[in-house]
Amino acid sequence: MDFINFLTNNTGTIVEYTGNHFTLVLQAVSVSLVIWVPVGLLLTKSDKWAARVLSLANTIFCIPSLSMFAILVAIPGFGLGRKSALFALVLYAMMPLIRNVHVGVKSVDRNVIEAAKGMGMSTGRIMREILLPLGMPIIFAGFRITVVMTTGIAAIATYIGERNLGRFISEGLVRSNTPMMVTGALIISVIAIGLDSILGAIEKRIVPRGLRI
Amino acid sequence: MIELLQITKKFPNQTTPAVDLLSLSIPAGEICVLVGPSGCGKSTTLRMINRMIEPTSGIIKINGEDVKNTNSDQLRMGIGYVIQQIGLLPHRTIAENIAIVPRLYKWPKDKIKKRVEELIVMMGLDLEKTWGKYPSQLSGGQMQRVGVARAMAVDPPIMLMDEPFGAVDPIARTHLQDEFLRLQKEIKKTIVFVTHDINEAIKMGDKIAIFDAGKLVQFGTPEEILTNPINDFVENFIGHDRVVKKLNLFHVEEAMQPVGCMVRENELHSAAVKMKAVGAEVAFLLNETGKTYGHITLTDFKDCQDNIESLRKMVQRTKKAFVQTSTSLPDALSLLLEYDVDYLGILKGEKLLGMLSFKDIRKHVYRKEGD
Repeated sequence: MDFINFLTNNTGTIVEYTGNHFTLVLQAVSVSLVIWVPVGLLLTKSDKWAARVLSLANTIFCIPSLSMFAILVAIPGFGLGRKSALFALVLYAMMPLIRNVHVGVKSVDRNVIEAAKGMGMSTGRIMREILLPLGMPIIFAGFRITVVMTTGIAAIATYIGERNLGRFISEGLVRSNTPMMVTGALIISVIAIGLDSILGAIEKRIVPRGLRI
Repeated sequence: MIELLQITKKFPNQTTPAVDLLSLSIPAGEICVLVGPSGCGKSTTLRMINRMIEPTSGIIKINGEDVKNTNSDQLRMGIGYVIQQIGLLPHRTIAENIAIVPRLYKWPKDKIKKRVEELIVMMGLDLEKTWGKYPSQLSGGQMQRVGVARAMAVDPPIMLMDEPFGAVDPIARTHLQDEFLRLQKEIKKTIVFVTHDINEAIKMGDKIAIFDAGKLVQFGTPEEILTNPINDFVENFIGHDRVVKKLNLFHVEEAMQPVGCMVRENELHSAAVKMKAVGAEVAFLLNETGKTYGHITLTDFKDCQDNIESLRKMVQRTKKAFVQTSTSLPDALSLLLEYDVDYLGILKGEKLLGMLSFKDIRKHVYRKEGD
């Protein structure tokens, strides 16, 4: 009963926090896509640089999220708030996105590329018509991981001033307010699972027809 | 015509060049086979012609024009390219795969469609069944045909083929080779063909270039190379059955001799007299309708002691011993042994044109060898 009461009495706040949560995730994922997909594609040109950047991404990925937020807040110019949150989320997205774009493109049969090049297809055309569509299943899997992961880590950004669903959990813990805590936890989980299911359904369709037969 | 002038290719981190000061002139309208053991630089040479690899030094000219003067994509669009692994786009249908280069040339859609249909039929594939399929639904032989069709889509005057039939089973390979040779008679492309198989080289090549360790060892027609291997390497590479391989270059009509004596069925008993009169060793028999159905030799007469029944049996034994003029010499030789006869009748359609014995084959090869 407490739980239902909490939901009905705080509808406005829930909507606001959910909205904030979504916009942060959306911004982080969009910025990550714009930055990391081209970087991943570029890295397919040089194995040496790919190894370097991938190990950097791995290292960043290992930093616990609370530590990451704390470090960013301490850096002048970042401070508390959206800027630091966004920056941290984009850094975390680096590993799954770059790695999957790289692996996806590299997994395309070399002979197909050789034949396409030999027929006079330009590098750009090979990228658009062959590498991207054939690498898409793996690239998309990376995107899916990024979305789910970002949804989760975004909740922790509440500690650096983000007014989102994570706040229900952190405040609920402090005040021993179980309904508040459960509300936050449930909504975040539902969003993460929901997004993952939707993307999973899309992923199945994104495999080119010729590869499914 | 493709000219390679003093081409050298040295890959980074390699002490010896992959191709070393190679000069080669490939005439238009012919199949030139580059052959040699693996790592001899034949594929590298092929790939330098369409600039998939850039030579370290030297000039490559196509019809007198330095290939470096053409944008590499433009150059490749105008040259058919077939590789052993084919490299069909797995996410595109067969029709879309064949249409790749026409699309690069921005042909109108209906022209592309017409050309694709034409090519599928030309390659001996079922148009309705193949058209909309994906590469993974085809057999190896079918994929290889699509690969060749794709390379010929815009009817380029030059085609580069890197072990194009290497990945299919021997039966399909023979079939593809035969079909391709027949096709080449009509289309008369300038073809550079890479293989490591000397038999394929002898079969497919108007000219053969034998490579070893980045150098051109010998260049010439299959006959020249089989007759006069320039050194031990070439001789070993061709194999010890060099002379037998050489038989592959000839058809029975080139080695046959005219028939000296023909007798009717009912004159069988007097055939020996007739043969002696004209100085022939063998007589071919005609039935009432004027069709030849077998032969008899003077030796047979001796063996049968003029017994007419045994003679008939001897003739019956030879009733299969006929081949068409286009039969290759190794096949004829094999049939001589298989039927255990001394002569084969050579037919053009139903008409007897000549005959062939072991001696004729030997004489033919010997004469060629002596040239």
